[in-house]
Parts: sequence; C-alpha cells; structure tokens
Amino acid sequence: MAPTSSGLRVLITGVSDRLGADLARSLQDDPAVGDIYGIDVRDPRRPLGRTEFVHADTRHSVIAKLVRELRIQVVVHCAVVTHQLESVRAMHETNVIGTMNVLAACAGETSPVEHVVVKSSTAIYGVDPTGPSFMTEAMAGGRRRRGPLQVDMLEMEQLAQDFALRNPAISVTVLRFADVVDKHSDSPLARYLSLPVVPTALGFDPRVQFLHGADAVEAMRRAVFGRQRGVFNVAAPGILALSQAIRLAGGRPVPMLSGLFGPLQRLALTAIVGVPLTPRLLSLITHGQAVDCSLLLHEFGWQPAYDNRTVMAEFAEPAEDVIEGGEVQPVQERQLESYLLRRRLRGHQVHTL
Amino acid sequence: MSPRSRRTDAEEELRHELGLLYSQVALELRSRSAADSNGGGDHSDGALLRPDFGRAAADLTALALRGSPILGSLLDFFAHQRALATRGPDAELDEFGFDREWTESLLPLFRWAYTSYWHVQTSGVEHVPAEGRALLVSNHAGVLPWDGAMIKTAIFAEHPRPRHARALVANFFFGTPYLGRLLRRTGQTVGHPDDIRRLLEQDELVLVFPEGVKGTGKPFTERYRLRRFGRGGFVQSAIRHRAPIIPVSVVGSEEIYPMLGDSSLLARLTGMPYFPITPTFPWLGPLGLLPLPSNWSIRFHPAVRTDELDPELADDQNVVMEVADRVRETIQHGVWDGLRERRRAFL
Repeated sequence: MAPTSSGLRVLITGVSDRLGADLARSLQDDPAVGDIYGIDVRDPRRPLGRTEFVHADTRHSVIAKLVRELRIQVVVHCAVVTHQLESVRAMHETNVIGTMNVLAACAGETSPVEHVVVKSSTAIYGVDPTGPSFMTEAMAGGRRRRGPLQVDMLEMEQLAQDFALRNPAISVTVLRFADVVDKHSDSPLARYLSLPVVPTALGFDPRVQFLHGADAVEAMRRAVFGRQRGVFNVAAPGILALSQAIRLAGGRPVPMLSGLFGPLQRLALTAIVGVPLTPRLLSLITHGQAVDCSLLLHEFGWQPAYDNRTVMAEFAEPAEDVIEGGEVQPVQERQLESYLLRRRLRGHQVHTL
Repeated sequence: MSPRSRRTDAEEELRHELGLLYSQVALELRSRSAADSNGGGDHSDGALLRPDFGRAAADLTALALRGSPILGSLLDFFAHQRALATRGPDAELDEFGFDREWTESLLPLFRWAYTSYWHVQTSGVEHVPAEGRALLVSNHAGVLPWDGAMIKTAIFAEHPRPRHARALVANFFFGTPYLGRLLRRTGQTVGHPDDIRRLLEQDELVLVFPEGVKGTGKPFTERYRLRRFGRGGFVQSAIRHRAPIIPVSVVGSEEIYPMLGDSSLLARLTGMPYFPITPTFPWLGPLGLLPLPSNWSIRFHPAVRTDELDPELADDQNVVMEVADRVRETIQHGVWDGLRERRRAFL
C-alpha cells in the first residue's frame, strides 16, 4: 500500500518537535501529498494525523534504509537544534552528525530522493554590530565571533552545500529561520522575553527580528512543493528595537551594565528564572541582528504573514494549550527494523534496491 | 523653520511690554510693603491686596518666561521629549533603526548650533534634489562628526523641501554603548556597500565621508588638506545604483577640536581608531568634548551625473578613480574658496 499511493512521499525528521509536527499536519491536508513519514528519537508530543511515526535517530546510519524502502521523494530535515537549551555536545551531535547521516542517506545512485529541505538558523551569521545592517545569504561565516550554535550552523550548511554540489540531480533548499518566538516555543530567547522584568544591556537597544512558528512551517511547506534551490533567510517583516519587543511582550526592560552579564549573573538568571544566557542570546540582546529577506520574496513570491509587531503582541497573550487535531497517536513503532519488518508482514510492497 | 528661532518684531514687542509690566508690579509691591512696615496703611486693605499681587506676579513671571523665546523653546522641547519618551513600543522605527519623529524633535538644538553657535553660511542647497536618491560626498574633520550633523541641519534649515540625509558612519561606533544607539536612532548606519545599496534603492539621500577616520583623525597642522578618498567605493555605489553625486565642502569643522596629537597607546587601550589630544581633551574630561565655536560655511556643489553613466562602469576602476578624483578636487576647491571668503576662524 504505502508507497503505492500516487502523491508525493515525504519524510520529516525531527517530527516530534513543534515545527516538524505542524509541518506534517499541514502537509497531510494537501491532496498532492501521498504518504508522510515522520522520524524522531522522542515520542511525538502532538498528534500527527495520518503521518506514520517511526522511532529513529538521525545520528545513526539507518535512515538510508528507510528512505529507500519507503521510496521517499522529499526529505524535510527538521531535526536541527537552532537554540541552545541542552548541552553543546548534544546539540553538535544532532546538528552536524545527524545532518551528515540524513544527507548521506539521501545521496547515492539508488536514492529515490528528489528534493531536500534543511532547517537552519540566522545564528549562522553571528552578531557583529560593525558589520552590514542586514545580512544577506552570502554573508555567512566571516570574521565574527563564534558561539557553539553558529559553529554548528556553519558546519551543517557546509554539509548541505557539499551535498548539493555532489548530487546535482537533487535540489536542496536551506531555510535560515530567524529566532522562532511564539506561544509554543521554548528557547532561551522565548524564556527571556516572557520574563516580567527583563534585564537589558545599558546603553544598547538593538534591532531585533523574530519569526512566528506558523510562518516557519509555511516556508517549509512552500519549499516542499516549490523546490527552490539555494539558501534563504526567513524572518518576520519589519524591525523592532529590543525594548519595544519586550514591552509588546508584556515585560518591562531594566537596563543593567553590560559588564554585569558576567558568569555570576548568568548563573543567577539560569537558576532563578530558568533563562540560560547563551552566547547567542547575549549577543542578540546587546547588538541584535537583522537579515535581508528579499531573496525569499523574489524566489518564493511569499513573505511571512506575521510581522514582528504581531509576533510579539501574540506572544504576550496567555498561552492556551489546546492541541488541535485529535489525540496523540497511540501506536508507535519503537524500532525502525521492526517497523519495516511489520510493514512487510502486512503485505506492503517493499522496494529493495 | 520654527518662528521661535527668528524672533519676530511682534514677539520682541510683547517681551518688552511684559518686562515693563513686570517691573511696574514689582515696584508697586515694594512700595506696598514699605507702606506696611511704616504702619501707615490700612492693614485689612493690605491683606486683601497682597495675595492678588502675589498671584499677579507669579502669572506675569510665567508669561514672561513663555514670552522669552529661549526659555519658551526649552520648555516646549522638554515637554515634547517627555511625550516622545512615553511612546514605548508605538515608536515607528525604519529598518535601520531610524526614529524620524524623535530625530526631528532634536532639530531645535541643532538649529541653534547651526545659527547661533557656528554661524553656518550655506550656499548651493538647491543642488540637493528634493526627491529621489542621491549621494552627498563631503570632506570630514573634527574628531566627532559634527560636520555630518550640520550638513543634515543645513538641508533642514535652508532647503524648500527638507529631507533627512542618512550618513554612513565608521563601523567602530556601532559597537559602543549609547553612541551606537544614538547614531542609529538619528538615521545613521554602518559604512558598508550593502547599506548604501539598500538606502539608495529606497531613494534616500545618503551622506558619505570618503576620508573616513583618516579625515577626522588628522592633526591640526594639516587642516583643510583632504585625505585620500579611499578606493572610490562610494563612486562604485553611485554608478551601480544610478545616483548622482553631490560634492559638499565644509569649512569650520577643522577648528572645533584642534588636534595637537594622537596617542596611539591610548587608542590601542580604548579600542578607538585614534585617540585625539586637543587643548581641552582629555585634560578637561567630558568638558573637553565641547566643540569650539568656529565660523562655518557649507557649500553644496552641482551634481556629478554618475546616475547617467552605464551601471556596468562601476566595475571599471579607471572610471571610478577618475570620478572620485574629480569629486575630491571639487570639494578641495570649495574648501579653499570657503576659507578665502571666511573673515576669521573664530568670533
């Protein structure tokens, strides 16, 4: 059955995350999409509808088998950590080793994959107050100071770029998302902005940009069908000063000497309010960042629907934890191998190439 | 533009009359109290009259204050600043962080510096186009970019259709607290080709100082001798994005901080591109940052029609350097003319 239906066969990695799950649910309403498969190391926290969920770790090389047996045409690689909440090492494993495996699985003569979408982050540019006011896609890397997240993104995109060069038949879309901040997001920045009293750096009020989760999902959905080759910045239109963003989010900015954001303050913030002051967050709140999204507008003919003001105003509203689309799927396949075996037993036609 | 900056005859008259009234009331009050202490007058009468006189005096003081152009504008200025500070998230910033409303609220201060402090004489402002993109190119001097502020003020004070010039500032400043924020809020941005492109594509008026820190950091003995114009990057941008170049010559900015020397050690320690030593800085501390009141002139020259060139010529280094040299010559001659016409540097 499964690979016999006529529509597009899509594999989403990191489907237990909010963006991956939302993408799966937005794709399954589309008649052009046939089977949707989702993999992740963790159980899905949100209902996935008709998406088939398989436990699989992108850090292992089993994905090649999955891709070939299920005749996957489009791979959306969402299993990329774009904010640093866990340890640097774990983040690096997921981002770099995971991406390496996923891309390796898509490569090769026998690969049925036609298109790959990779989630990335504007953290790749780093933060440089003396650099251009808007980062265009070509400005990644450079001489800026590097946090672990930026290093990860640089390495990960290097892999994607190499992959695109070696596999000219497969189109690759890399989407560099600005920091996703909405009611459902959990990141250092989202935690920081939801504080009632927000410490800011004295003498600085940088320009900041965010992205609504719904727009991130929409960008990926469009990339699945549009198959635009290349790298694209995705950020909400408009610009806010950090102090404006904090006020819109319902907080009160309290300037502190920026020298005070030392190790002690970081520990205190993390311990008291649970906001890890990562290098990324620290540089965002002192110097800020803005990216140029004209390439996205030009190639996709689309720009995010939520502007930065709306993103923040919505973030200020109380979060209602209603999950649409029914209950979480009861049956989950624990193991990739057993999943594939069970499919064969159920009489699915299995492509072994 | 505001009627306050130039006192009208009517205002002058009103002030005079208020002053007269005020002195009459003061006289009256003094004679009353003198009469009281003599014990000659009717006490109840005095008690009735005194509060009225007191109130009248207070009212008249307030009136006189408001009638005084300087105090009145100051009161207005602070009231306006307070109103603007309460905008919070409603303040409209453009994508570079430019707060138009707030910047315009500061204009009275700059206008005062323009007319009363530096006595700026401006000519050729008609060469600045009322709309559409253009690149203003000026000589640069004086440690702190007051020349940029005065060029911007000149356009606001003299142009029939004033508009904001967006200056490109040395990158170094944007990482510094307060100053970086101030520069962005008043419409300045980083000197990067991509920033010029964005501004010109939005049909803005862009102001550049091709000498950069080589211009502001030069010693007093070399004043009014223009430095090298970089590698002509501004010409490339103008040709590529079809913007005319309007050369601007500024005289007076060299004397505001006569730079006697430059401490490379202190520059290295503070991370600044140069560390100026002037007769007042760093000896007087922050007070040494006060610019001296020299006499200024600004002249805008006719446009160099880089907008009519083929945009592909932007990659022709010969053409670029030729135009850059021509612009530099125009500015240098404008500076010499301005110096010749200026009677003295101070007072």
